[in-house]
Amino acid sequence: MSRLFLPSCLQHSLILFLCFLQKLSFAFIIIRIACLPSSSSSSVFSHSHLQRPIMNTTQIINPTRPIWPGFSSSKSLCGDANCMEQLLLHCAKAIESNDATLAQQIIWVLNNLASPDGDSTQRLASSFLRALISRAASKSPAFAFLSLAATASVSQKMLHRFSVIELAEFVDLTPWHRFGFIAANAAILDAVEGYSSVHIVDLSLTHCMQIPTLIDSMANKLHKQPPPLLKLTVIASDAESHPPPLLGISYEELGSKLVNFATTRNIAMEFRIISSSYSDGLSSLIEQLRIDPFVFNEALVVNCHMMLHYIPDETLTSNPLRSVLLKELRDLNPTIVTLIDEDSDFTSTNFISRLRSLYNYMWIPYETADMFLTRGSEHRQWYEADISWKIDNIVAKEGAERVERLELKSRWFERMREAKFAGVGFGERAGTEVKTMLEEHATGWGMKEDVEDDDDVERFVLTWKGHSVVFASAWAPINGVAADLI
Amino acid sequence: MDFSCSYNSSLRFLIKRLVDFFHYLFFLTFFSYELFVDYSLPRKEEDLKMSSSSYNTSVIPSSSSSAQPFFITSSGTGDNDFNRKDTFMSMIQQPNSSAPPPKKRRNQPGNPNPDAEVVALSPKTLMATNRFICDVCNKGFQREQNLQLHRRGHNLPWKLKQKSTKEVKRKVYLCPEPTCVHHDPSRALGDLTGIKKHYYRKHGEKKWKCEKCSKRYAVQSDWKAHSKTCGTKEYRCDCGTIFSRRDSYITHRAFCDALIQETARNPTVSFTSMAAASSGVGSGGIYGRLGGGSALSHHHLSDHPSSGFSPLAGYNLNIATSENRRDFLPQSSNPNFLIQCASSQGMSTTMPNNNDQSFMNQHGLIQFDPVDNINLKNSNTNNSFFNLGFFQENTKNSETTFPSLYSTDVLVHHREENLNTGSNVSATALLQKATQMGSVTSNDPSALFRGLASSSNSSSVIANHFGGGRIMENDNNGNLQGLMNSLAAVNGGGGSGGSIFDVQFGDNGNMSGSDKLTLDFLGVGGMVRNVNRGGGGGRGSGRGGVSLDGEVKFPEQNHPFGRG
Repeated sequence: MSRLFLPSCLQHSLILFLCFLQKLSFAFIIIRIACLPSSSSSSVFSHSHLQRPIMNTTQIINPTRPIWPGFSSSKSLCGDANCMEQLLLHCAKAIESNDATLAQQIIWVLNNLASPDGDSTQRLASSFLRALISRAASKSPAFAFLSLAATASVSQKMLHRFSVIELAEFVDLTPWHRFGFIAANAAILDAVEGYSSVHIVDLSLTHCMQIPTLIDSMANKLHKQPPPLLKLTVIASDAESHPPPLLGISYEELGSKLVNFATTRNIAMEFRIISSSYSDGLSSLIEQLRIDPFVFNEALVVNCHMMLHYIPDETLTSNPLRSVLLKELRDLNPTIVTLIDEDSDFTSTNFISRLRSLYNYMWIPYETADMFLTRGSEHRQWYEADISWKIDNIVAKEGAERVERLELKSRWFERMREAKFAGVGFGERAGTEVKTMLEEHATGWGMKEDVEDDDDVERFVLTWKGHSVVFASAWAPINGVAADLI
Repeated sequence: MDFSCSYNSSLRFLIKRLVDFFHYLFFLTFFSYELFVDYSLPRKEEDLKMSSSSYNTSVIPSSSSSAQPFFITSSGTGDNDFNRKDTFMSMIQQPNSSAPPPKKRRNQPGNPNPDAEVVALSPKTLMATNRFICDVCNKGFQREQNLQLHRRGHNLPWKLKQKSTKEVKRKVYLCPEPTCVHHDPSRALGDLTGIKKHYYRKHGEKKWKCEKCSKRYAVQSDWKAHSKTCGTKEYRCDCGTIFSRRDSYITHRAFCDALIQETARNPTVSFTSMAAASSGVGSGGIYGRLGGGSALSHHHLSDHPSSGFSPLAGYNLNIATSENRRDFLPQSSNPNFLIQCASSQGMSTTMPNNNDQSFMNQHGLIQFDPVDNINLKNSNTNNSFFNLGFFQENTKNSETTFPSLYSTDVLVHHREENLNTGSNVSATALLQKATQMGSVTSNDPSALFRGLASSSNSSSVIANHFGGGRIMENDNNGNLQGLMNSLAAVNGGGGSGGSIFDVQFGDNGNMSGSDKLTLDFLGVGGMVRNVNRGGGGGRGSGRGGVSLDGEVKFPEQNHPFGRG
């Protein structure tokens, strides 16, 4: 059917798509041109019978689309997940080569396949498609016809601002964050034993959601009594560019809640906010930490939880800000540095390869969403809007606007070693705790204990169906003991 | 359910037609087993082929081995799932065994009998409910046999499936999810219900949400089972949310308003003691001390049996200390109550706004400039140690003295909080720990005084008065004299730039303090009088007083050290 509609002058690649379509067994493709203006003159849709204006994308649902939650989203089955990836990559290539006609054709096809309320693969593709349209529209005047559709892309304003209670629930929807919390807290707890004061610099994306459990375990598990004074320093980046999840209350309020809670746990706590921005490598934070007076018997803990990848990497600036920051942290001689981040690489300057690695990572949050969030629920919208924002940032943005710059764990470990940090292993207790926590979540989650040849220290890697998701590592300055004595 | 339903309707029908009745009995007797078998399952190897063309068919592939017509519901029935594609894949692992087991038994999960027929059902089939639809009334049935019985009620042609002469081959079922361990035929599950539940649980959407907690379930029966026990084992926050994991509970607890509101709701006698206003400039970061030190607490009892515990909220600096809102009985229903007031010790902070860059608390001073504040440091350390011992002592007392006052919901807390050695929160649940930390806003908005400092000496005073408070229980004259007596004199340690207020609480709520604080004390005094009269009045005052401290002041206090 669909073949009949297509003009013969199409490029050979489009025929490829038809092969895909046949593979997908879509006997009929109902046309949904919601994203595409029907007046585009150069399009293949100029056939009169194809120019049916479609009012609402949600009204028309392809009845032949397989809606198998299990089959279609699985990666191992050569189903539409792979085909979808190929289509998206072709689309990206067409956009990169400024081929408006081809791009529009693929977008048309993709728009039929990718539904924002379909299964996880479809929702993933839908996010990608929106991001691609947004990229194309801003890229070249050739794609001006997409500008209308591009306005639908995710913006910061559309993201939900979580109340602090919602956020506390949000971080426990999946082990995504809790995994790192548990590992880091265990490492911190081991490291600060015996200190009378603990200064934690919390470089965390999740607005101190890790801290309550840390306070709790400091009160319960440290042998030193009374528990040490806890000083918490957080950074406040400019609100407009803060990556999701967004918090609905000010850090001042957040801090007072934390201090309040610490009081109930009999822990004296101080809370400090420092304005700092990622774009200059948190220089104001480092500066502040440098001039902090020396406190006897105080442990300095730097907890980096999915935040360091917002610092520009070498592909953006000639100044190696990440490595510089790590070296500066090293010079502060911290007792321990925990480094937890998502394990993927979005720093490639090659758009296509970046898109590929993005696709091969971002299916995970979408697929896991099926496990715990009901379709159409508010929570799912929040959750997926946050993911969409990240996809949009990586796909549609370039330069300094592209802040989601994940690096593989191997690269981070390399940086840490260059900065003269040595790996610290997690205790057995941490592994048990993580595993117990994972058992409470869907079956696909798992944990690898990853030992690198370089230093023989095990790290934790959170996995979803065997795919690496988040890594957790702990570091201490080399010769830290000697430096203490100086 | 379906079966019994149609059974009944059939029975009614049979009364009218006796012949049918015998017919029916016949089937029931000999083929009752068959009624529970899902005959929608593919029987033939023709069904093996997984054809994409079946996507659009609204026909369920019938089991061609059975003689009876398979009723095909039309696609016009609309809202059922029936007319979606059903794709079957069935593999005969081994040819029909000649020696089938004599008795049907449930296969062990994951250890299928090698002779069994391996059936792979599509997710759609697995998740379908009531796939057999009556043409007439659209009622759906899980099994075809039930539909047949139902059809008799409509006087439609019907036929119950007869037991085939062949032995029924045992079947094992695969999970359609390729990554699942049960996708492998060697780990197939032994019964259809099992595979359905497995698929729902592990790969399905969790549609059933517990109203009491945030847990979700994919299988309704799991959800029902959970609902029965929900709240008995989990961690429960005072706001009503229930958590299965301690991590989640702790995180929620830290940010939940219940932690603050419980104080506001509580009719406390809010004594305002004064603290040393100390300010200093740190060369580096400016730390605001929000949290006080240890909070001391007292339990108190009413002599009125119905009133139970009437705890006081701990109030440390501007922050609620008490952990357990449920301990705070509504005062309107609790007119006779006694309050034992406790003092708590905490650090004091003062923040002159016009000097907002120079805000330092005692700890900050200690930390940054230990030499100058050596006295403070000493007293501070002593206090901490002392408090700890005091807490533990209190806990012990309470446990031995009032074991009968445990309530079940307190136990939830108790279990969890027992782990707390340092903060001794279990004492909260048991003791109704009362911690009074006044905080005063002086008329001059630029000067905020927080908290109180009490020395280790004052702590011991409190401990002594603890007993006095109990005497007061017996001698319930509603007079707060004893209460006031139980208050410790509070000594604020002075920082280098601070002033010292010595506040001595005297009889009848008269307080002496510096002029600067008189206004606030009057307010508090009013509150005390209200409490004296009865619970209701006290409640309102308590809320007002506390909310002033707890909410209004937060931002103000936080600002000075907000930006380093």
